[in-house]
Amino acid sequence: MLEGINMIGDLEWEVPIGYVPDMRVPGRFFLSRALAETLEEGAVRQLANVATLPGIVKHSLAMPDIHWGYGFPIGGVAAFDMTEGVISPGGVGFDINCGVRLIATPLTEADLAGKKRELIERLFSAVPTGVGAKSALRVSNKDLTAVMVDGARWAVERGFGTGADLVRCEAEGAMPGADPDAVSAKARQRGVPQIGTLGAGNHFLEVQVAREIVDPEAAKVFGIAEGQVCFMVHCGSRGLGHQVATDHLRTLESALAGYRIHLPDRQLACAPIDSPEGRAYYGGMVCAANYAWANRQVIMHEAKKVFAELFGIDYDAMRLIYDVAHNVAKFERHDVDGASTEVCVHRKGATRAFGPGAPGIPREYAGVGQPVIIPGSMGTSSFLLHGTTTAMQKTWGSTCHGAGRVLSRSKAKKEVRGKELREHLAGEGILVRAHSDSALAEEAPEVYKPSREVVRVVHEAGLSNIVVRLEPLGVIKG
Amino acid sequence: MSFEELEHTADVLMRVRGADLAEIFADAGRAMFHVMYGPCEDRGIERQFSLEAENLESLLIDYLSELLFITDVENIVFCSFDVDIRGTRLSAVLRGEPFDPARHSAGSLVKGVSYFGLEIVKEEEGYVVEIIFDI
Repeated sequence: MLEGINMIGDLEWEVPIGYVPDMRVPGRFFLSRALAETLEEGAVRQLANVATLPGIVKHSLAMPDIHWGYGFPIGGVAAFDMTEGVISPGGVGFDINCGVRLIATPLTEADLAGKKRELIERLFSAVPTGVGAKSALRVSNKDLTAVMVDGARWAVERGFGTGADLVRCEAEGAMPGADPDAVSAKARQRGVPQIGTLGAGNHFLEVQVAREIVDPEAAKVFGIAEGQVCFMVHCGSRGLGHQVATDHLRTLESALAGYRIHLPDRQLACAPIDSPEGRAYYGGMVCAANYAWANRQVIMHEAKKVFAELFGIDYDAMRLIYDVAHNVAKFERHDVDGASTEVCVHRKGATRAFGPGAPGIPREYAGVGQPVIIPGSMGTSSFLLHGTTTAMQKTWGSTCHGAGRVLSRSKAKKEVRGKELREHLAGEGILVRAHSDSALAEEAPEVYKPSREVVRVVHEAGLSNIVVRLEPLGVIKG
Repeated sequence: MSFEELEHTADVLMRVRGADLAEIFADAGRAMFHVMYGPCEDRGIERQFSLEAENLESLLIDYLSELLFITDVENIVFCSFDVDIRGTRLSAVLRGEPFDPARHSAGSLVKGVSYFGLEIVKEEEGYVVEIIFDI
């Protein structure tokens, strides 16, 4: 284990003030001893760097999928005081509101027999994927403004889904505070042709089966039963979000000196929340986040059409369980020293995990807590969990977002042959469709921490509790 | 090629070496397109742009971000990077070909260029810089 870090509980670790100069608060992260072997010094240093930012409240946090990124570590969570604190694109990432949604179909695994390959091929045709993918949708610049303000609601109003979908999205599929003027012409140019496209890298659409119901009561509330076929959509705000992040990071980097903020890492460039640059970033980030919700809504709609046509089932019989964001900064009310206080929570590669009764979660789920969706990695289990009161107390209502990589892409390509991987997964009944085998190799299951162990940590640490374990049946990759 | 991929768990970390700044910038562009698309040929498409920034590191970020923008919007894959640097002002002439899914889909989409650890260092025999591309 790394020097200078203290274990303060079975699954909880502290990075004390002084680990790097100028820390204002300690760092805290959640990890099992088994996963501690995978911990990188660079990730801990990044966690400590976040603790130097002005106005950070209580702790710089990281979830058990912590790994080395840039700016914040991936898996990083931090809340900032609304007056003294800052907002930082480095705490959100380039793919604003990269997130995941889970949809339950009325089918069972047996219903897919003999049709699985056709299903995966049809999904691959219906959803543009990969580098250079363009949408079949024609969207005007005016439409794009509506997308950035209305998010998933824009998609529903255009016929991509139903109103019932909206309440089952975090922030009901559109955060308030969008400022289309904070989105550059370049970002718009990138956004117009990409609505309804999956993207590349670790983005995917995966068909799954609910293999194990761990919490029957919560599963019933979420509307999912053992053996039910589901699908999961993982993607973000595409080029529009990347450009918003690039543009504002540049502006904030130039503005740093004016605010007399000294940083250990320029990727943590930031500005006071209530400053022209801070407000502009927030307004632009919200636009990108809303674009991402519209994007996932359109993709879900196209996938549902494929299921409906191929299996002769009703479109409305497929139910969105929930949609969660991974990379976003939000103004939320949390308990700070006994008082309900508004703070700016950054989650970079982390999932909101609000507990029972917390504001902002669908009424139908209020007694259980919000659904939390943790994807696996093609060959490994994904999980549906629920948020908890403990998460509200310890992590600003946050939990992990995935398994977390342990192997670099270059090593993955050296050690894994994409074709063999595809054949191996097919042998296990998992059909994978991608534009290239080398892209598959980079995302092989073995390049990630075991999703079961990561999820076990958040479950046992009480940050979110497992409801259902899902196994992959087929995947389309970007 | 005067770039090499170093170990990085989540993203792609590239070390680029060059005899002068123009070479560093050209090879940084080449490295980024190598990550995204793999092989590329000059098929007569040309684009050019100029930029100015307050320091060389910001100039490098702006230049690579501009390349990302052009490739995303215009679907062009570049293979020739001719860069001229005067102080903190840059002009670039790029040549390449239209994106072809059959030949260019093997790479990884670069979402952005990170400032993390970015420093253009002058050494005895030239310059070196390490760049993280967010994948």
